[in-house]
Amino acid sequence: MSKTIRIAGAQGFYGDSPLGAMQIAMQGAADYLMHDALAELTLSILQKDKIKDPTMGYARDIEVHARTLYPMAFAKGIKIVTNSGGLNPESAAEKVKAILEKQGIKGVKIATITGDDVLARLPEFKENNIELNNLDDNSSYYDSKFPPTHANVYIGAQKVKEALDNGANLILAGRVADPCLALGIMAHEYNWKIDDATSQEDWDRMAFAITIGHILECGGQASGGNAYSEWPMNYSVSDLGYPIAHVNEDCTAILTKADNTGGKVSRNTIREQLVYEIHDPTNYITPDVVVDLSNIILKDESENRVSISGIKGKPRPEKLKLCIGQHEGFVTEQFFFFSYPFAYDKLQMFIKATKETWAKLPVQILESRFNIIGVNGLHEDAVEIPDVAELNQRSELGLRIAIKHKDDRTGKTAIAGIVCLGLNGPPGVISVPGWGNMNRAMLSLFPCLIPRELIEPELKYIEV
Amino acid sequence: MAMIKLIDIASARSGDKNNVCNIGVMAKSVNDYDTLKKYLTPELVKAHFKGLIKGKVERFEWDSLESLNFVCHEALDGGASRSMRMDSLGKNFSSHLLRLEIEIN
Repeated sequence: MSKTIRIAGAQGFYGDSPLGAMQIAMQGAADYLMHDALAELTLSILQKDKIKDPTMGYARDIEVHARTLYPMAFAKGIKIVTNSGGLNPESAAEKVKAILEKQGIKGVKIATITGDDVLARLPEFKENNIELNNLDDNSSYYDSKFPPTHANVYIGAQKVKEALDNGANLILAGRVADPCLALGIMAHEYNWKIDDATSQEDWDRMAFAITIGHILECGGQASGGNAYSEWPMNYSVSDLGYPIAHVNEDCTAILTKADNTGGKVSRNTIREQLVYEIHDPTNYITPDVVVDLSNIILKDESENRVSISGIKGKPRPEKLKLCIGQHEGFVTEQFFFFSYPFAYDKLQMFIKATKETWAKLPVQILESRFNIIGVNGLHEDAVEIPDVAELNQRSELGLRIAIKHKDDRTGKTAIAGIVCLGLNGPPGVISVPGWGNMNRAMLSLFPCLIPRELIEPELKYIEV
Repeated sequence: MAMIKLIDIASARSGDKNNVCNIGVMAKSVNDYDTLKKYLTPELVKAHFKGLIKGKVERFEWDSLESLNFVCHEALDGGASRSMRMDSLGKNFSSHLLRLEIEIN
């Protein structure tokens, strides 16, 4: 009988609630908590923190977790694997250590994984003529006119496995690719090969682990959250149980959730998460293996228990993916509301007056956008606009104004210039200042590939 | 000839990878999947978004999950971090697609 390991998808994004993970830890319903904190955008946010304070740059929910979740988890022997280290895993480890020590907790081995952050190495790559060509349009990074904000390589699971082999019970990694967190755990438990893989069996095992990781990496989205296929979602979501995979060495698993929690795990909820952010199902590319999901078998076994099997693997890609953030400018947005009668005519008058005002102000607006909330806010030009007579009968309409600009002063000037329209403009305008989003940095991502041999992930430990 | 509402035979989930949006369309039954395969073309999907999707739309068939995956290129106004859209991540591309009505024979 092979050993069954229980891995929980404890976090789906930076800012997720810790309650699902705490419920799992309290029940001892998992052996590992896998926390994914890094969406494509998150590193840009962390970079801003790091510029302000060089000891920052990690996903700050770990400070909350260190006070609430980790003590509970360690007491039950649960290990934690996360990429919350972001741009500063070592500093994150020091912070967690200090918080744990304050609570008198001992016997924790924290591992950090770095080497993914290559921002400081970009000049070196240029000097050595390392090609960095855009995956979308093949342009060279060295021709880009925008300054870089961050540059991180998606790295694989090898160091996660090694850290666990060496007895770590908390791993704070940088940009380890989300699903590779699960692969590191399984490779450790079953002594599977990663960087030294050579056989079809090795690739199939890794592909299975990656698929489990992909299902878990978005937390509650696999266990009944955000689920059209279960609509009208006749279950509680305020206490949604986060997904847990009971995995076996023979590359089968049962997907489930903790007892006495809300949400639902069904073939539908898992299917919905599987198609999420996947492109070609026969070639799901990760740093460690290319996964063929096309013959995957999902089965409802019983309530909240779904079995999974049938996943195949292929050798890993030659190069790794590097994502470089570039600062293009700023975005400012503001919301206004217009009441019946003539809500639509008033809204149009407001837009006209706004444009006239900006033309007179010393502001350079690179692009502007006007969305009518409740009409074309989400889908813009893809939806039909109802006729004017109907819109004028509406009880209310909202207006969202968004502008793109080069410097961080324009946003304030542009919005300050039009709020007077509350008194000077059409009747019945309400501006909602709290909704405004001033001078948000506008970043574009430059995705490219980089030779694997240039990247050497590094593992370090500190003991609490 | 009859019209079928996509929302009656399928559910959907969409997500982002930089400027690419993928929309997974999951049939409610095996029969519904046959209908989707036959009639829900990438051209139809692209046209339904009326210019929001600037690039090509690829369609992948996923028989074991009775699902189609539409990969929409240049669909997110440059990608989430530079988009001027409210739905910068394209999370509601799924919702908008479900509004589609398909003509079947």
